[in-house]
Amino acid sequence: MDKFKIFLMPSVCTVFGIIILMLLVFTLNSIAVFKQEGFAIYTTNIWKASEVAEEEYYGILAAIYGTIYTSTIAILISLPISIGLAIFVSDLIPKKIREFFIIPIDVMAGLPTILYGIWGVFILVPSISGIIKFFYERLFFIPLFSYYNPTGFSYLSAGVLLAIMITPFATSLIRESYLAIPNIYREAVYSLGLTRYEATKILLSYIKPAIVAGLLLAFGRAVGETVAVSLVIGNAFNIHPSLFAPGYTISSLIANQFGNAFAYELMPSALFSAGLALFSIGLIVNFAGLIILKRWGYA
Amino acid sequence: MDKKYILLGIHSHVTRMRKVTVILGILATVVLLGCVSEQTKDVREQIKIYGSGASFPAPQIENWIYEFGKINRNVIVEYASKGSGAGINDFKSKLVHFACTDPPVKESEWLELEKIGKPIQFPFIVGAVAVIYNLPVEELKLDGETLAKIFMGEIEYWDDDAIRSLNPNANLPHEKIIVIHRSDSSGTTEVFTTYLSIVSEDFKSKVGAGKLVDWPVDKLGRGFGGKGNEGVSAMFKQTPYSIAYVELAYALHEKFKIVSLKNAEGYFVKPSSETITSAISATSAFVPDPSEGYKEDLRQFLNANGEKSYPIVSFSHVLLWQNYPEKEAKAIKDFWKWVLTDGQKYIIEGYAPLPKEITEIGLKAVEGIRGE
Amino acid sequence: MLRELKNRIFICYLLISAILVIFPLLHILFSVFINGVPVVMKYGIDFLTGTLPAPNKPDGGIFPAIYGTFLMVFIASLIGIPLAVLAGVFVAEYPNNTISKATRSLLLIMMEFPTILVGLFVMAIFVVPTGSFSALAGSFALAIVMLPYVATYTEQAMRSVPRQFKEGAYALGLRKCRVVFSITLKIAKKGVVTGLLIGMAKVAGETAPLIFTAGNAWRSTGSVFEPNGAIPLWIYYLIQQPYANYHEIAWGAAFVLMVFFLAIFLPIRFSMVRS
Repeated sequence: MDKFKIFLMPSVCTVFGIIILMLLVFTLNSIAVFKQEGFAIYTTNIWKASEVAEEEYYGILAAIYGTIYTSTIAILISLPISIGLAIFVSDLIPKKIREFFIIPIDVMAGLPTILYGIWGVFILVPSISGIIKFFYERLFFIPLFSYYNPTGFSYLSAGVLLAIMITPFATSLIRESYLAIPNIYREAVYSLGLTRYEATKILLSYIKPAIVAGLLLAFGRAVGETVAVSLVIGNAFNIHPSLFAPGYTISSLIANQFGNAFAYELMPSALFSAGLALFSIGLIVNFAGLIILKRWGYA
Repeated sequence: MDKKYILLGIHSHVTRMRKVTVILGILATVVLLGCVSEQTKDVREQIKIYGSGASFPAPQIENWIYEFGKINRNVIVEYASKGSGAGINDFKSKLVHFACTDPPVKESEWLELEKIGKPIQFPFIVGAVAVIYNLPVEELKLDGETLAKIFMGEIEYWDDDAIRSLNPNANLPHEKIIVIHRSDSSGTTEVFTTYLSIVSEDFKSKVGAGKLVDWPVDKLGRGFGGKGNEGVSAMFKQTPYSIAYVELAYALHEKFKIVSLKNAEGYFVKPSSETITSAISATSAFVPDPSEGYKEDLRQFLNANGEKSYPIVSFSHVLLWQNYPEKEAKAIKDFWKWVLTDGQKYIIEGYAPLPKEITEIGLKAVEGIRGE
Repeated sequence: MLRELKNRIFICYLLISAILVIFPLLHILFSVFINGVPVVMKYGIDFLTGTLPAPNKPDGGIFPAIYGTFLMVFIASLIGIPLAVLAGVFVAEYPNNTISKATRSLLLIMMEFPTILVGLFVMAIFVVPTGSFSALAGSFALAIVMLPYVATYTEQAMRSVPRQFKEGAYALGLRKCRVVFSITLKIAKKGVVTGLLIGMAKVAGETAPLIFTAGNAWRSTGSVFEPNGAIPLWIYYLIQQPYANYHEIAWGAAFVLMVFFLAIFLPIRFSMVRS
């Protein structure tokens, strides 16, 4: 091993150290609640804080449910749109002015999330509450619309806001791989005399793995988003099939309750175990996304 | 082209940035940082006092800090409203110099504090919990029993006989009552549920009093929780046919319709400075010696006697240590002495100043603070 | 005929998705602008130099937040950049090493990692032991968030340096250390600086890592060992208050934050177009 490598090693070790230490800290701090409740922390929906330690009981199922629910809404909205936009920018926009479409998208991908938050609270949520009213009054018998919530703070608001936040990211991923399709294929496809629709369909099938990876990474982003979501989701321990119900996500639960947590015996540990769950979801989703990208030579 | 840039969410291409941009960027940063450090130089002499706790008196404290800051520039007070429980905890870990709590500290907590130092506690302001309603009715009268039944979910419709008999002239709609309450651990909830437990045996046995209670009306699908006074206000505003409880200053600030509550002598009163003061003066308040703060009883002003007395009134308390480092001790004394004297003139709408004899108790305690 | 119809529908779909993305995005920028500018104009220069007013008092400003953001981004850069650059150099110089491959993947994962967890982590290992929220704790959290961006950009920039330069240097008998720091990094400087700026722009807008680390300050500017505010943190707290003037200040602060972000981001982005 040369000296230079040894010189660089500490910094690399620090990077690994941070992640390992992080995992360690979350695990160690979760032990107290695991000892008390076992795995039930993840499978029950109870949030009972009490000054008497014996009466405390925490279950974060509602937050796990909300995390998956809102991220799924976000992906379902975002996926078709980001594919459409990616193709629009790559195929319909002349190369010269393409950048002027891409730059705003890049700006939005990096924009501080709190700006999405303030927009969500003051502009999105009031409009969503109108939508909720409209659908509830007409279609309340369908479970998806069955929750009366005139406030607008709901899974739907969080899902829509997340969709807006992850679309720029997802569309960049898809656009890059779409543009990277070798020209030979492109020319071959068009030379068959196909319409744009048919040609694009074939080209898209070529980059399917990249789309799946983009989906996973965007999902990972949605799962981890904290402040914007915690401002619009309504923060209620709810497990409800309706889009209109208020709920919690793991990250918004942490953001909301951690400030109070140290007033109670077991709550900090419960929140660390929630963090551990988020940690695992984030790790798995991102890792899977990267592996797919790697296998197909996109990373 | 390397695909890894994709992951940055930023378009690829290797960059060739203009030197000018870099230099300008760095220059701007340096200049800004320079301004910042310039600004902070004269701040160095200032003493900072940190406090945290109840959200109930937060608007009033913010106002005091603002007014105090005008006359005393050497002391900066920072208050974080994050709930009584969190405040006491911050205080215990010495993260803050003082903590505010609505209900007096419990004995068990007090003993914990005594392990660390000498805590003192005294009231510094009087506030009230307002019951607010969202109905196209000009005035709504309720008594404690009915209110408890509404919050337990036992009364389902606005035109229920119990409500109708109290409001014979009001045009009450046949609509379901939506109950909105706090979802976080809060002193406001403790004051409100303690009141309901006093006026209704049923409520006491089925729900009980506490910072965080399990509302039976939630399970009936007509109860919603909001985080903080602001969360409750936001939900309430947008929900027709709802009823909720918030701290009075919020209710007044948001211009909500406030319920007239039947007091112990049978009169219907709305909360105001006058009716709050009446409740306080009707009772000969027992405020224990600040060094034994836990002996105070939250219930003493609830459902007080007096024609004009509003029934849901409580003190808000501050927790301090008897000893601080020299410089901080002086600043803390200055601030709290000012609050209990001149500060009582800057009371914002929704609170009432303390009676003289009670500020005396606080003042004596503040005088006893020592620097070390 | 059917083919043609399908194609038409398809093109409509593309157009609609473009509108569906661009519209909300522009609406956000526009809302921040429309709501923020009048506030900044109304408060005047005080908005940048004042401190938080009492509820419903029409004055004050966001100086403690601006100060805190600059302070923490600065300290975070001091901590994070050297670490990140060295890690980036390692990955670029030893690309086939197992550790280096693992580091690359790890950096990419860290980039998408929920930042609230970083905040919680720093709270547990730094805030609790020291017994105080502080700008330093906030800076640690931001440094961790910044690290993968800077490292990845450094690596990328270094790998884009043509081999001939390095080979020439080695031929002169220079040691690896010298080659990297005097030749490769110099040539790759622009790419590295881009990475630094992107990292800084990113963390300047972060809220979640600061909630449990930086504490907050409404009226004071403190040393690195004291609690300090930050612009995103202020916005987060202020919009949860019921007071109209606090909401106003939140919009103004959002505008200021957006200007800071665009001022760093746009020049970098445009310079990429030109090359």
